[in-house]
Formats: sequence, C-alpha cells, structure tokens
Amino acid sequence: MANVSVAAEWQLLYNRYYRKPELYPMRWKHMDLSRNKVACAPFGGPIAVIRDDSKIVQLYSESALRKLRIFTSSGALISETVWKHPGGRLIGMSWTEDQTLICIVQDGTVYRYNVHAELIEPNVSLGKECFEQNVVECMFWGNGVVCLTEGGLLFGIPDFKVMSPCQLAETGAEDLPNCMAVIEPKYTVSGNVEVLVGVGDGILIVDEDGVQRVEGEAVQGPVQKMVVSWDGKYLAIFTHDGRILVTDINFKGVLLEYNCESALPPEQLAWCGLDSVLLYWDDTPLLMVGPRGDPVHYFHDEPLVLIPECDGVRILSNTSMESLQRVPDSTVSIFKIGSTSPAALLYDALDHFDRRSAKADENLRLIRSSLPEAVEACIDAAGHEFDVSRQRTLLRAASYGQAFCSNFQRDRIQEMCKTLRVLNAVRDPEIGIPLSINQYKLLTPSVLIARLINAHRHLLALRISEYLGMNQEVVIMHWACSKITASLAIPDATLLEILLDKLRLCRGISYAAVAAHADKNGRRKLAAMLVEHEPRSSKQVPLLLSIGEEDTALMKATESGDTDLVYLVLFHIWQKRPPLEFFGMIQARPLPRDLFISYARCYKHEFLKDFFLSTGQLQEVAYLLWKESWELGKNPMATKGSPLHGPRIKLIEKAQHLFSETKEHTFESKAAEEHAKLLRIQHELEVSTKQAIFVDSSISDTIRTCIVLGNHRAAMKVKTEFKVSEKRWYWLKVFALATIRDWDALEKFSKEKRPPIGYRPFVEACVDADEKGEALKYIPKLADPRERAEAYARIGMAKEAADAASQAKDGELLGRLKLTFAQNAAASSLFDTLRDRLSFQGVS
Amino acid sequence: MAQIPNLDNSPLNLKSLREQSQRDLVKILKDIRGKKCLVIEPKLGGSLSLIIQTSLLKEYGIELRHLSAEPVQTDCTKVVYLVPSQRDLMKFISSHVHNDISKGLQREYYIYFVPRREIQCEKILEEENVHHLMTIGEYPLYVVPLDEDVLSFELDLAYKECQVDGDTGSLWQIAKAIHKLESSFGVIPNLRAKGKASVLVADILNRMQTEEPVSSSDMAVPEINTLILIDREVDMVTPMCSQLTYEGLVDEFLRINNGSVELDSSVMGVQQEGKKMKVPLNSSDKLFKEIRDLNFEVVVQVLRQKATSMKQDYTEMTTTNQTVSELKDFVKKLNSLPEMTRHINLAQHLSKFTSKPSFLAKLDMEHTIVEASSYDICFEYIEEMIQKQEPLINVLRILILFSVTNSGLPKKHFDYLRRELLHSYGFEHMATLNNLEKAGLFKKQESKSNWLTVKRALQLVVEDTDTANPNDIAYVFSGYAPLSIRLVQHAVRSGWRPMEEILKLLPGPHTETKRGRFASNPSFDTLQSASNGIDKIADGRRSLVLVVFVGGVTFAEISALRFLSAQEGMAYDLIIGTTKIVNGHTLAETFLGTSG
Repeated sequence: MANVSVAAEWQLLYNRYYRKPELYPMRWKHMDLSRNKVACAPFGGPIAVIRDDSKIVQLYSESALRKLRIFTSSGALISETVWKHPGGRLIGMSWTEDQTLICIVQDGTVYRYNVHAELIEPNVSLGKECFEQNVVECMFWGNGVVCLTEGGLLFGIPDFKVMSPCQLAETGAEDLPNCMAVIEPKYTVSGNVEVLVGVGDGILIVDEDGVQRVEGEAVQGPVQKMVVSWDGKYLAIFTHDGRILVTDINFKGVLLEYNCESALPPEQLAWCGLDSVLLYWDDTPLLMVGPRGDPVHYFHDEPLVLIPECDGVRILSNTSMESLQRVPDSTVSIFKIGSTSPAALLYDALDHFDRRSAKADENLRLIRSSLPEAVEACIDAAGHEFDVSRQRTLLRAASYGQAFCSNFQRDRIQEMCKTLRVLNAVRDPEIGIPLSINQYKLLTPSVLIARLINAHRHLLALRISEYLGMNQEVVIMHWACSKITASLAIPDATLLEILLDKLRLCRGISYAAVAAHADKNGRRKLAAMLVEHEPRSSKQVPLLLSIGEEDTALMKATESGDTDLVYLVLFHIWQKRPPLEFFGMIQARPLPRDLFISYARCYKHEFLKDFFLSTGQLQEVAYLLWKESWELGKNPMATKGSPLHGPRIKLIEKAQHLFSETKEHTFESKAAEEHAKLLRIQHELEVSTKQAIFVDSSISDTIRTCIVLGNHRAAMKVKTEFKVSEKRWYWLKVFALATIRDWDALEKFSKEKRPPIGYRPFVEACVDADEKGEALKYIPKLADPRERAEAYARIGMAKEAADAASQAKDGELLGRLKLTFAQNAAASSLFDTLRDRLSFQGVS
Repeated sequence: MAQIPNLDNSPLNLKSLREQSQRDLVKILKDIRGKKCLVIEPKLGGSLSLIIQTSLLKEYGIELRHLSAEPVQTDCTKVVYLVPSQRDLMKFISSHVHNDISKGLQREYYIYFVPRREIQCEKILEEENVHHLMTIGEYPLYVVPLDEDVLSFELDLAYKECQVDGDTGSLWQIAKAIHKLESSFGVIPNLRAKGKASVLVADILNRMQTEEPVSSSDMAVPEINTLILIDREVDMVTPMCSQLTYEGLVDEFLRINNGSVELDSSVMGVQQEGKKMKVPLNSSDKLFKEIRDLNFEVVVQVLRQKATSMKQDYTEMTTTNQTVSELKDFVKKLNSLPEMTRHINLAQHLSKFTSKPSFLAKLDMEHTIVEASSYDICFEYIEEMIQKQEPLINVLRILILFSVTNSGLPKKHFDYLRRELLHSYGFEHMATLNNLEKAGLFKKQESKSNWLTVKRALQLVVEDTDTANPNDIAYVFSGYAPLSIRLVQHAVRSGWRPMEEILKLLPGPHTETKRGRFASNPSFDTLQSASNGIDKIADGRRSLVLVVFVGGVTFAEISALRFLSAQEGMAYDLIIGTTKIVNGHTLAETFLGTSG
C-alpha cells in the first residue's frame, strides 16, 4: 500500500519520527562546498558562496580572483561579483534578517551586500583595536554580530540597522577561548547581547557591562563547542571528553547527555527544532541525538552544511538540499504503519471511495463521532507536506470527511488551500524559497512579499498580495523604482507610459515618491512628468521644487489653495533667485503676491519697498513711509517735543510727494500734507505752552485742548489753518467749554451769532453736564418741537415735554415719553390723555 | 454652572469631536514628561476653555501662563508654547528664548501650533536664530463646538485677512475643518455656496476630497445632507445693524466671549465691589435656551410672567394644603429660581442701555438706512457723529451700513467724510480708511446701488412685525429680515436656481454641486426630491443642513436660523458653522489700521 511507503522513509528517535525529504536537487554545477565559505539564510533564504581563503585549494580552470556568488536555495545563481576588498582574510559571512549579506574581514571592516551582490555603502569598521589586533572569529545572529580579536577582546554590532560598534567587557582570560555562543538581545534580561565564552575550565557570560562565571553541573571541565537553541532557552554543549550535553540557558540541570566517543569536537553543531541536536564530522555519519533512546545516524558521502530553522534543519550538500524535521503528529496519525486513528481511517476511506468500494462507508461509520478531528488532522498534515500530490490527496480526504460533518468550520480547508498555493508558488525551483508552513507563519506574508520584491520577483509578489487581499502599493512602488533604475536606455516618454500603466493599478499610490526616485537616478525630466500625476499637492509641490520646476510649483501650490504650500515655494524662490527675478515671478500672481506682501509687511519692510518700486506702486511705498513715521513716533526715544519730529515730518513729506505722483491719490497726498503741517503746529504749541500734550492728537482734539487751556487764539489759528467747518467748530467749542464748565463763556458763544447748527449742541452739553438751569436757557430756542419735547423729558419736565410733543402731533413720541415717565403716575396719565386727543384728531 | 456646553442634545455627535480634541491635547502634554510650563496665547486659551477645564490640565504637572511680550517666569526647565500660527507671536517667543540665553538659563522649548504648523512662522523662528532650539508639533484643533448647534473655527481675523490682505489661509482652514467633519459624519452630498470666499472654500474642499478621500462607503447615509456656504461679504448690512434678540443684545453691550459674559458682580446682585464674575450663556441653561432667541421686548414680558406665576404658586403653597406630588412640582420649579434671578438681573441691566434716547435714535437711523428712504438725513446724522467725535467704532459701523446699502458714496461726500474722520480721529486712520476701501466697505460710488431691488425682491423690510408671535425672521431686528438668512431660507427651500437673478445682484459668484457618491446620480437633483429619499434617517431624526458663514455670524442671525428650523414644514435641522461669532463692533475693529 502507498501508505506504508510514506512511513518507510521515517527514522525513529525514542518515540518520535523524523523524516528527511529532498527539497531540491541543486541546480548549480561543479560545486564543492568544502573549498568554500558558505552562508545560508534561514527561512529558505539565499546562499552566499565564496572560495575559502583560509584553505589551500587547487585552482582548476578559474580565475585567481575570488568571486562572491549568491544562489537561491535551489542552487540557481542570482548574482555574482568579484571580491577585491583589502583588509585580509574573510573571517565571517552571514545573512541578516532583512537579507543583507554581512562580510567581516580580518582588519574589522564590515562589507555589506544585497542579494544582487551590490555593495551597500558605506563600509563600517569595528574600530581601531580590531584593526590592530585582527578579528579571528565572528558569531552572528539575525540582527547582529560579536567578533573576537587575537588579543581576546570582544566587539559587537548589536543592531545591523544602526551599525554602530561597541566593545564588550574584557574577559581577563590569558588564553583565547575554545568556543563561543551568543544569546540574542531579545532573549536576555538586560536587553543587551550576551556572549557565552568557553575558556579554560568553564564558561563565562560576557556583556557590555561585565563578566560572570557560570556555575552548574553541566560545566565541569573545558567546553569545546556550544550552540544556543533558536528560542534562546537551551544550550547544547560539546565537552572536552566527547559528551554532548543539553542544559537550559541558566545552566540548571542537564536535559540530555550522550557520549559521542570522539575527542574531536564536531565541525558543525546544530539544533533540529527544539527536540534534538545534530553533530557533523566530515568523516563519520551525521549524528542526531535526542533526550532519550538511541541516536540516529544519517550517512552521507559529500560535505554538508547544516542550516538551522525554527522547525528543523536544512541540509545542504554539493548536489541537494534536504530538510530534516520531526514528522508532525497529524502525519504520524495518518501514515504510521498500522495506524487505526480516525484520520488514518478517513484517509483510507477516500482510497476506497476512489476505487468505488463500499468499505469507504464502513470506515466512515467507524469514525463517525470523531470525524471532525480526523478532518482537522488531514488538513494539518496537508499543510506540512512538500509533495504537491500528497497535499492534494490529504485535502481531498479532508473535504470528503467534511461532507459528513455538520458542524465543521468550513473555511479551514479553504484557508489551507490558500496558504499551500502561496507556499507551492514560492517553493518552485525557479523561485527557490523552500518555506515550511511553520516558517511561513513565523515569517508572516508581508515579510515574504518584501523578500520577493527585494529579489525582484515583482510579479509573483503582486499576485500573492492580490491573492491574499493585501495592499499592493508596496509591490508596485518598489517595482516602479527598480524599473527606473534598470531602464537607463529607455526614453523618458516610453518609460513614463510603462510606469503609468502599472501605477494606475493602485489607487492612492504616491507618484511623488516614484518621481523622487527618478530624480535621484538623474532623470529629472521623467520626474517632472511623473509628478504631474500626483494628486496630493502637499507631496507634489516640494518635489517640484527639488527638481527645479519652480514655476510649476508656484502654480500648483496656488491652485491647491493651501497658503502654507505657497509660502514654501515663495521662501524657496526668494532665497534662490535675485530679487528682480523673484518680483517678476510673483507680480502677476495675486495669491503669492499678496502673501508675500503680507509677510514682508511684518518682517521685510525695506524689501517690500523695493518690490513696490519695481512694480511702480508708488502709493504703497508712500503708505509704508507714513507707517514708518508713525512707528518713529511710538519709539520711546522720540519723546514729545524732541527734535525727532524732524525725521517724522520728513518721512510724511516724502510720502506726500509719492502720493502726488499719481492722480488717483490726490486725497491721500492732501492728507499727508495736512498731517505734516499739523505735526509742525503741534510741535510749536508744545514749545509755546511747555506742555507735551499736543503731538499725535487729531485736529479736533488739538482745537479742544487749546480751548480748554484758554488759548482761544491758538484754537482759532488751527481752525483757519485747516479750514475747519463752522459746524464742527461749534460742536468742538461747545463741548470744550462744557468740559471746563465755563457756562458764561458758553452763553456768550451762543450769542456771538445765530449758531449754524441751532442750539442743540448747547442743550446736549448742558444736559450731559447735568446743568438743568443752563439747559433751560437754550431749550426754548430749539426750533423743532420734537427735539424740544425730548430735551424737556431728559431733564424731567413732563408737562413741558408733553406740551411740546402735542405741538409736534407725534403719537409715537408721546408713547415713548410716557415710558420715560413710567414711575410718575400723574405724568403718565397726562401723556395718555394727550395721546387720546391726538388719535381722535387723527380719526376725524 | 460649567462654561463647557452640554452637547447631549446636539443633532450631531459633537461630543465625540470635543472628546477627540481633549484627548489630543492631553496626549501632547503627557508625552512631554515631567513638570512643564504651558504658555498659552490668551485668545486660544479662551477657545480651549470650551474644550477642557483648566483644572484638568493641572493634573499633568503643568504651570499655566499666558503668552505676552514679558518673559516667562517659571522654575520649570520645559516650556511648552501652545499658540495659533500667527507671525506676530513668533517675536514674543524668540525674545523669551533670547532672554533665557542671556540669563544663562537652559530650557527645553516646545511649540505646538494650532491648528497646524506653518512655514511662515518657522521662517521667522529661523531668522531669529531659535528654530533649532525648538521641538515643533501641532495641535489640530480646527473646530470648537460653542453650543449644541453652533461650531466655531476660531478664526478671528479671517474676514479682514481675506478682504484686505488677500491672505486666504483661513479659507484653507475652513475647508479642512469641514473635511474633518466629513470624515466623522460622511461626505456631504449637496453643496451650495454664495460669495467669492465661499466658492473658494468649496473648491478647496472638493480638492481635499480627491486628494484624501473620505470613504463614503463606510457610512450608509451621510449625516449631513447639505452644506450651505455664505460669504460675509454678501451681506455686510446685517452685522452692522444693532441686534435686538436677547443674546444679541448681551453681545452688543456686554460682549459674549467663548459662551460667557463677564459682568460686575453688582449687576448679579452680589455685593462685592468692583469684582468681576463670569456668567456662562449656553443651552445648558434651560431658561436661557428658551429666551435667548426672542426679541428683547418679549424677553422682559416672559420673565415677568414667569416671576408672577411663581409668586402665585408660592402664595397657594402657603395658604392651601398640598399633596406630596404637588409639593414636588413646586420644588422642581424652585430649582429654576437661580436661573430666573440671573436673567432678571441681566435683563434689567440691559434695559438701562436700551432705554437711552441715543440708542433709540441709532435704531431709528439704522432702519432709515436699511429702508434707503432718506439719504440726506442719514448723511447728516453721520456727519454729526463724526463732528461730535463719538467713538470711532460706532461711527464706522453706521458708515459701513450707509456705504454698503448705497454701494459707496458720491466722490464729494466720500472725500468730505474721509477728511472729517481724519481731522476728528487723527491721520493714523488713513490706514483704517485704506483697509475699509480695499474691503469695499467704505468707498467711492461707481455704480448705482441695487439694494432697493434686493430689499424688495427678498422682502427684507417687513412691516408690522409682531415680535411676540413672529411669523418671519424679521423679528430679530424688529422689522428687518437679515439678508444672509433670507438666502439660507431660499437655499434650503428650493436651491439657488429659482433666485439666480437676485443672486447676481449680490457680490461674488455662486455654485451648486453634488458630491461624493451622489455626484453623478440625477435622481438626487434637487433637495426636495432628496427629502423623500435619503433624508429620513432610520431613527426618525430630521436630516441636517450645515450652514457655514465665512467671515463670521452674529447671534441675531443664529436666532433667525433657529427660528427657521423650528417652523412647521421645515424638513431639516440646522447646524451653524462660523469662522467666529461677530458683531458690528468686533468686525469693524479688525479694520482699524493702527494695529499694523
């Protein structure tokens, strides 16, 4: 039966099965791993290979120059480059989490490559001590490295994203360590990297701040090799007497002990998941030991490289890539020889069903109650399969069983199919990313897509993100940028069409970002064409500026209505261009021009004058000068009466002159002339009265002040000098006299001649000053009976008010007056009778 | 009673909006660790008092200061400035920093710009050589709910900046504020705009929608059905008239700031000489909600009635035996006693102003000008005001009213009044006159005024207004129906189309557009057909119209809108958005040229 053959490939370690299916036959030719240094990235990542310069090897028909070559996990060449770096031997080489290849040479220089074998500048040095002492060993983890120098010092880069080196504490040991292992920062209590150093008879824990000796039953005598499990919880140790020990990371207890009967330490020591440890010597079979039971031996006739993964180990040889992993429980329950588990029976039932045998039904009946778990097991097992036809069979079994389950979560199968489609797509030898389902889940789809685009697998990345319903913007954006970089020979217009064709797929994509990339690649014209398509002005405008399209930037900013953007452009041009050119650009554009004026009004007065002069707006210059004169007046240095009035007057006269240049501004010119004259007169008044109370008051105020001071001649002079109208003169003089309560003078004034505006000002002034007697002198002289009525009312004379009102025959007025006298019942009834009489008259 | 208005009864979920603003602010303050001195620009501080209680801020280890030219006195090493993006404030901040440096004080400086950072401000910090010392952030406060149906964008100078300086920065902020509302309440499908600035706001808003679309699919029905944008420029007549509603009068005489009025405590019957007290005025006060929109004449009557009925209740209480439930009712009524006292005091205080003959004469004059019946009388009145040197703002107000209704004055009169103004108030007001002329508020007459036509066509002057039982919005000005609100009334009822001819007589263009998903759907062609379809939100609420005044709105206009909204047969609730609550005074003040 087919089932038997599946389990026949398994190896039993204690109570667990292990399998070692081949993932790929390697596509490369004539590869001898033993001649090379090899760095394999986990999660099915790329393989970097370079001739090992620490070994003496025979050169065949090849160049003496070494080549760094990068392959996929299936052995297809991605890229290669000639290695010509100085600095001595290549000591360490490893891939980071974001698939950058880190190469460290003897003098401590770190070179970085991407998967396309392009050097990423700048190169970083680990420091002076490394340069002087030479690096002898490097210990990598996903995101950092620790190096050992010949002098026994430890240096590290704790984070490859930052690339700043640091020194760890000195161990103080005389000899160089036998072996080392690192605990990643994310697994340590301190959050800093810790290095386990096997030196002398024990192990030291070293970090940036100090050194600590390890105590524990696992550490008795020198240690030859160590490796930390991928979850940072366990440590495998190979001792000087040929035993392999597993202890927890705090050295509490021994979880596994096995005597390997070899004094030589293994060349490679690796965890296989968390259940077992692999030891590799090149002349004996690969040894796998677990906590209990007999170890398993795997024979090999080629040199191997062990690549630890989270759920197993990949084994790379010259010709193949295999995966060694524990067989999942679901798979065991289905394929184990003689298994009668529900899942096995379900799988069997499908077989019967396919052969149209009635036994299918019998099987189903047997497992009716546990059908859901059988279906679940089949789905799970399918997920762990690399073989597509077996995936299919298992999923068909699941789907067959599901038909008889009423309450099974139906989308489980669908979900698994989706996942497997993605996995199978990337496992294809062309792509060469042999991810297991566990690795895929740990890696997450978005990281997988990022890796695909980094490897320039844009179409696949796009399909996958589309299939999984993820945002495609990342993919398309990266594609567009890569396309620009790679298409130096394609003319701008053609390339633009190619790009737009794809960019349109994604709404809201940032055209500005693509354009910025084009600009960085020296394709300014293409950038300008691309940025046209950016709908967001806030992104478009800054870019237009950076590619020197100032005119367009100004236009777009203005169109957007966002004044902040307009200012951005304005300041940019203002700084870059000579003033006249700048003025020319903004002159015909209302919004930028007005904004510039508004800003310059506050902070760049002189520059603004230049602008107005250049555009011939002389009156605006005049306004500015006038304003300056005003500010000069507010200046505390220019105390009143001081000679500083000279400059003020001069400024105003200059303004007047400018105003008079244009016909439309005769009024302003006249006003400026008067202002200058007023300041002079006020200045003289201050000198003659020795009182600094005139400057900067208005003409009317000046007249009032003169009258209040009793200086009627001066008041008269101001009046004639500025042709103050008789009307205004009367108001001013009456109020001024009332202010100083000179009632005699007021009366005299009223009799000078018949006042041009009647006696109302006199009445108002007296009433306001609460001088009833004085008011009564003028009220009868009021011509309009209505005014008379109101005036009487204001000084509380109801009867007189009523008489006047009835004389005016104004009913509404009577009503209003009645309200004024609301408290006074007698007056109130008086108004009522009068009003009645009035309305009666109205009717008749 | 709290100054922060209770928003529970709002037709929109404004509470969540306010809570978001609270959280934003608290986050900014929390993220700056330790003790810090928070320096707030005073006006902004006023707006913030409607968002969060200052006592709450103190919980985050904050010393509170107001921004002024004086250096900040504090022991804190961290100074956080919370300021609007205004150029003139940057000088203050720079001088503070320079002052600290000269004294050898080492401090950490943070500037949070409201509502967003602007290059023109940062440029000044750069030129003052302090930019590198600052950590700069923004506090995106675009909308402040003043009451359950009023939103303010807190842009005090918007009108002047647009009309005089040509600086349309505020329009972008208005659009942003509306766009933010849309992201909470859905894309508003119908848009009507009148006036240059309004149409610009509409343009920017549509642009924002294409640049950063609010996904309309999330919400089945957008909560706001129609947006009406009215430019203040379209109607400068209304704000220059004296408001006669209760709330309007309080604002005219006593100034309402951020939903409260500051009074001598003696007015409120508290015997503490010279002490000021703040009285909150918002719809959380039940009695105020009832009377705020009434004509002041009526308010006096209503208050008298209430007082009498309470007195009656009290007499009954003392003479007859009462059941427990009757007692309960009575006690409930007693609870409203503090509100009664407050408004009786306030109304009494107001009537001191309203009974003055000068006030009545002014009202008379305003009506004469609005009716455009006698040019000469009005001209002489204004001439006399100037010659008597009455407060300049009062003069400007009536002068603007006069000039706008006549679309300017004949050159002879224009020059004459200008000269009289300069002679009476000083030549520095040349700048004021220049500003007014640029804004078209006081100018030379160039064409015949069409005010009479507009007035007649829109029935702006209504004879025999019964202020107690009004049947038209004209009650808010005792006979004059505010032009702006007439426009809204028509826009809501039938859209712009039937009144295109009249709209053309008013300044600025007008537009009417469909937006979002409804842009291409012909069945939503008019608002009326729409009212049969999508307007009925499931829970039976009426659908909403957001009326935005670009350049400010007065309390009287808000009252008129509330009156409209309360009319039978009105299918909509109205929400009001404005750059700021204004009145003739505050609006005219912004044009004074002496400030710069």
